[in-house]
Amino acid sequence: MSQGTALERKMKRQPGAWSWKNSFIHLFPIPALAVYALFIVYPIAAAFSYSLYDWKGLQKGDFIGIGNFVKLFTVEPFNGLFWNAFGHNWYYFALEMIVQNGIAFALAYIIFSKVKGAELFKIAYFLPRLLSVIVVGFLWKLMLNPNYGLVNVTLKKLGLDTWTRPWLGDPETALTSIVLANCWFGIGFSVLIFLAGLQSISQEVLEAARIDGVRGFRMIRSMIVPMMMQSVVIITVFTFIHAFEAFELVYAMQGSQGEPYHSTDTLAVFFYRIAFGGSTGDSVAIGLGSALAVVLFFIIATLSALFMFYVRKKEMDH
Amino acid sequence: MKRMFKSSMIVAAAAALSLAGCSQSGGPSQAGETPKDNGGQKTEQQQAKVKLTMGSWRTEDRDAYEKIIKEFNKQNPNIEIAFNPTKNTEYNTVLNTALQTGSGPDIIQLRPYAAGIALADAGYLEPLDGVKGLDQFSKETLSAATGKDGKVYGIPTVFSSTQIFYNKKLFAKFGIQEPKTWDELLKAADTLKQNKIAPFAFGSKEGWILSLTHGALGPQIYGGTDFVKNITSGKTNFKSKEFTDSIAMMQGLAKYFPDNYSGVSMDDMRNMFVTEQAGMMVMGDWEIAVMKKMNPDLDMDVFPVPPQKADGKASVTTWVDGSYAVNAKSAHKAEAMKFIEFMTTKEFGTLVANELMKPSTIPGVEAKDPLVTKISKYANSISTPYMMVVHFAAGNPTTKATLETSMQGMYLNKLTPEQVADEVQKSADSWFKPAAK
Repeated sequence: MSQGTALERKMKRQPGAWSWKNSFIHLFPIPALAVYALFIVYPIAAAFSYSLYDWKGLQKGDFIGIGNFVKLFTVEPFNGLFWNAFGHNWYYFALEMIVQNGIAFALAYIIFSKVKGAELFKIAYFLPRLLSVIVVGFLWKLMLNPNYGLVNVTLKKLGLDTWTRPWLGDPETALTSIVLANCWFGIGFSVLIFLAGLQSISQEVLEAARIDGVRGFRMIRSMIVPMMMQSVVIITVFTFIHAFEAFELVYAMQGSQGEPYHSTDTLAVFFYRIAFGGSTGDSVAIGLGSALAVVLFFIIATLSALFMFYVRKKEMDH
Repeated sequence: MKRMFKSSMIVAAAAALSLAGCSQSGGPSQAGETPKDNGGQKTEQQQAKVKLTMGSWRTEDRDAYEKIIKEFNKQNPNIEIAFNPTKNTEYNTVLNTALQTGSGPDIIQLRPYAAGIALADAGYLEPLDGVKGLDQFSKETLSAATGKDGKVYGIPTVFSSTQIFYNKKLFAKFGIQEPKTWDELLKAADTLKQNKIAPFAFGSKEGWILSLTHGALGPQIYGGTDFVKNITSGKTNFKSKEFTDSIAMMQGLAKYFPDNYSGVSMDDMRNMFVTEQAGMMVMGDWEIAVMKKMNPDLDMDVFPVPPQKADGKASVTTWVDGSYAVNAKSAHKAEAMKFIEFMTTKEFGTLVANELMKPSTIPGVEAKDPLVTKISKYANSISTPYMMVVHFAAGNPTTKATLETSMQGMYLNKLTPEQVADEVQKSADSWFKPAAK
């Protein structure tokens, strides 16, 4: 009987009841939240507030409201450069989706189909990812060198002299060259995610489909891809964010001017240039740079959110 | 986060500087108190020993300046100077913060032109008008550190200078003489081209090479220093025929550039020149040391950019690479001035030319390296200012950067020389106010 009452008391106390022990638990996230607030929330808020001021070099000037945003979208050369870079970001995204993720899916599928030495391939594809982006940029710069680079030398050896060109110096080919180098760099990561998605598919379902006579491309299209939709969504969002943040490789290969003639400019490179200016620190425009950073943040956040929302809705419909 | 880190660094640096300031003023009096029984004379000497600090953004100059200070100490044993450089990209911020709080080094290296002059105009620096030896510098050279009030606030130490480097061996092989006129220059280029040697090691992949090359060759077309005076006083602008012609000249040179030059970078240019695949290169003095390291056997020499007519004046393009000033709040201005005076002597100029391998601003300096001596001589006699660096490195993007990008566009057949000139003028209009208007 005494046991019964003790249990009753415990059960009464549990849901929602206040106790020192329970409330103490809520204190544990505080350090993590503080770090998050300091390093994530504060910089975003700070960039937003900086974008509302006029800046004299590194010194904050008068409050000018949305003046910097208006300048970014209406004053030459900023407006032209913005849309130019914005277009390049979309090109970056599209080419990465087709080349990097297309090839990555094919590779992942081959590995998944139990090829000999699958583990070795997995590591081999992922290897470039271990290099620093600066090193990757340097290597590709060497290979694409117009006069002694591997690419042009090989083309000449094959008798394809007319195909040789200054890959990084020609505005027609510069951006594509950089994005393809980026695909080479990023492919291993996509393979891993796709492989994880493929491995999560229940073998029984695939087996049942096979018995029903589903084969080849139809198998991929109607069975495998829908069942690994989660991975596809993750890859798409990652690629999107990556394409809109594209900076390191462009900077490593073409410098902060998006050379030649702004043909490789992306929003992040454009941001770097207006916010930090030249190496001696002249012509910094913190306000305008912050305004661009805020715009970039909203583009990435809004489009990512819209895409996720759309995918969720589709999943629900199914 | 970056900002937080940066600002905390600034605070730390400012604190360190102000501490250094305290210890300076504390130093001599302490030294005077302790050794009381050591005899009068020694105490006097120690009392007179003053510690100065010297600020700079050139961390790579430390060894050279330590040697220079040692030389200075031979005549001034009682002035101790510590050369304390700050990282290049942080220097402006650290220095400005220190000056605003009333501290900072006693001797300050000033950024050339606008940035350094701004410090003078804000009253942080001591005017140097009485300094002996100031009259040997040209007005143009001193303009790198002349305040709005017309007073000089900094002693220029070295020039950066652009001229034409050439491969002596190749020139001799094809019987080419140092060109004395523009036509001879083009003829030399033709001869090299016929012999399958790239006339100019040049590439348009990196924008700064474009403004540098135009800065060196352009003056002979647009009329050098006179044009610069006219444009800064508002008498002419970039759309003028002279300037447009100078851009068209750059376009015309394209036939003398190497294959695929739109993809050629500075590294490739240097490579071409030191491996004797190119006969000439329009380049700055700072490359001498690098090229000599890459190919010690390279037989190279320099010549100034030749004039269009035989009776014209050849030119090299120069800009001051920094000046040294005295902090107006320094506790030991008299001692700092002594070092500043030393910086105007030939002895100092020779040390600088030998240790830094840079052309000295002091006329008549002989260096161990004959190339440095030659470039110093040109820089002190036939120089014209690098207009884009001296007067047009402002705006956002800077007018200099605008020239670079639009010339890149020109070499890609997207812009005509007239359109390049238009773009440059548009950029200048966005911030530049001519002095006389």
